[in-house]
Amino acid sequence: MRALLPTLRAPRGFSAPAFLAYLAVIALVALVPQLSRKPLILHMWIMVFLAIAQGSAWNVVGGYAGQYSVGHAAYFGMGAYITMLLLELHQVAPWYGIAVAVAGSVLLSVIIGSITFRLRGPYFVLASIAMAEIIRLAALHFKDLTRGAEGILLSSIPPLETRWFTVRFLGKVPFFYATLGLAVIVISVNWLVQHTKLGYTFQAIREDQDAAHSLGINPTLHKNLALMISAAFTASAGGLFALYVRFVDPNIAFGIDVSVQMVLICIIGGIGTILGPVVGSVVLVLLSETLRNPKWLVQAGLLGDESPTVAFIEGRLSNAHVLFYGVLVVLVVLFAPDGFLGLLRTAVARVKRRLAARRSPPGQPAGAA
Amino acid sequence: MPAILEIKHVSKHFGGLAANSDVSFDVGLGEIVGLIGPNGAGKTTLFNCITGYYPPTKGDVLFKGSRINGLQPDAVCRLGMVRTWQKVRPLAKMSVIDNVMVGALARTHSLQVARRVAHEKLEVVRLDHKAAFLAGGLPIGERKKLEVARALATRPEMLLLDEVMGGLNQAESEEIILLILELKKLGLTQVVIEHDMKAIMRLSDRLVVLNSGEKLAEGPPREVATNKDVITAYLGEAVDA
Repeated sequence: MRALLPTLRAPRGFSAPAFLAYLAVIALVALVPQLSRKPLILHMWIMVFLAIAQGSAWNVVGGYAGQYSVGHAAYFGMGAYITMLLLELHQVAPWYGIAVAVAGSVLLSVIIGSITFRLRGPYFVLASIAMAEIIRLAALHFKDLTRGAEGILLSSIPPLETRWFTVRFLGKVPFFYATLGLAVIVISVNWLVQHTKLGYTFQAIREDQDAAHSLGINPTLHKNLALMISAAFTASAGGLFALYVRFVDPNIAFGIDVSVQMVLICIIGGIGTILGPVVGSVVLVLLSETLRNPKWLVQAGLLGDESPTVAFIEGRLSNAHVLFYGVLVVLVVLFAPDGFLGLLRTAVARVKRRLAARRSPPGQPAGAA
Repeated sequence: MPAILEIKHVSKHFGGLAANSDVSFDVGLGEIVGLIGPNGAGKTTLFNCITGYYPPTKGDVLFKGSRINGLQPDAVCRLGMVRTWQKVRPLAKMSVIDNVMVGALARTHSLQVARRVAHEKLEVVRLDHKAAFLAGGLPIGERKKLEVARALATRPEMLLLDEVMGGLNQAESEEIILLILELKKLGLTQVVIEHDMKAIMRLSDRLVVLNSGEKLAEGPPREVATNKDVITAYLGEAVDA
């Protein structure tokens, strides 16, 4: 019966209250470093922002256009490597470097797209993995260009000097704002995609490529377009990530776990929705960072300095985060196929229906459908 | 009557199998042509050749006087010819109105315009009351109507209907028949593949019969229905007593 109910999707179009709420949330989050600058807490925020940027970028091609690329590490790594190489070897400032990295990744996405989009479904997924692996192995092999497995260690980031202000990339605060800005931009891009012709085109291809083709949509063109948008923002996230951790090597940048994490963020949060990747990022980053480094709980004041929980996580669970990922994904796929967001929406709809049923007098049908 | 669609010696081979061989006929402007034939006669393959899903192995397809074989389906749609699918293809996780809007967006960039056109077309097929429902949840009769509405939203000059009555009960079929006749009055040229002989006799100005990939007969419905070859193709040879 569930399919017979009207769609639960929010009405399309611009809504002033929702937009104001969005701005308010951004403003509140932007205040965080003014209130507290505990490094581990800021680190958590930065990781969440980067995850949102990556997840939302993947969502454009995976969620809306339905092309489940598991090779987005190619664009992430390309963004990271181009930014780092230009900065460390050619002293190109990172803001220009990231622009070049974005252009390079978009070019790469056109090449990869024109090869892999000939395939559909699981064959496309496998081809996308293969493409990212080819690039990872190339990065390992061509040592003259990439320094191979040794990786690139960043010595320093030049300050950003403008007429009005100077930003020194010391500590975590500049990265907090840079990654927040990127996350906001990518979320906005998702909103734009969903609320324009482009979104309809992408979703039609996701639902049935042949039907879309007969209705005047060129699937090859639009799948490539979705991938280019996605690659551009994935590369930006890659560039910022490399600058933030000040190190990049082929496995960090091009490893398959980078690709998989982007997919998981969307699956766990809710694929093909604007808020899904945001929810998924919070859940996944909290889980993985807590397991890897539970000390942030102490800085957040949630646990005491000598808490046995921290010792337990550090001693027993710190290497088990991948296991937790796996269990979480199995649970989501089994019990919440539309992700946490879908779960939430179903719950809200159920409460609404109950309330409606209670309000309508006995003997009358409930105003559910 | 000027021809809007000309099919000239079209053949389609899949390896050694000739799904269509040397099929030729014209469709006049504003006409309803019924395309019939036993299972496997090559009706759907011909649709696929006309609308750009397969390039014909040999022969030409002319739409409004220009050659369209070799064009992709989206280009054919923009030229004004659209098809529906025998096995319906709703965009399941999108609402009914969004499905039809996808069709309307072939002619406009504005969502407002597309939404208005979509409501109009849903009213034409009498499905507007289900606009907010998920397309995947519709029963078969309404899915077929949705196919038609979505195709109409692309503002076609010519509509190819592939067994749009298959799987429907009598009342539903009757509704579709009236819809097709209504669209004809509006000037829409249609080619209809259908197995229900009663329906196709009523609808068609002309019938084209395919058998094993070849054109067997062509003409007014009554003439074709009494054609000896056609009866043989459907019922087999008469047995001499």
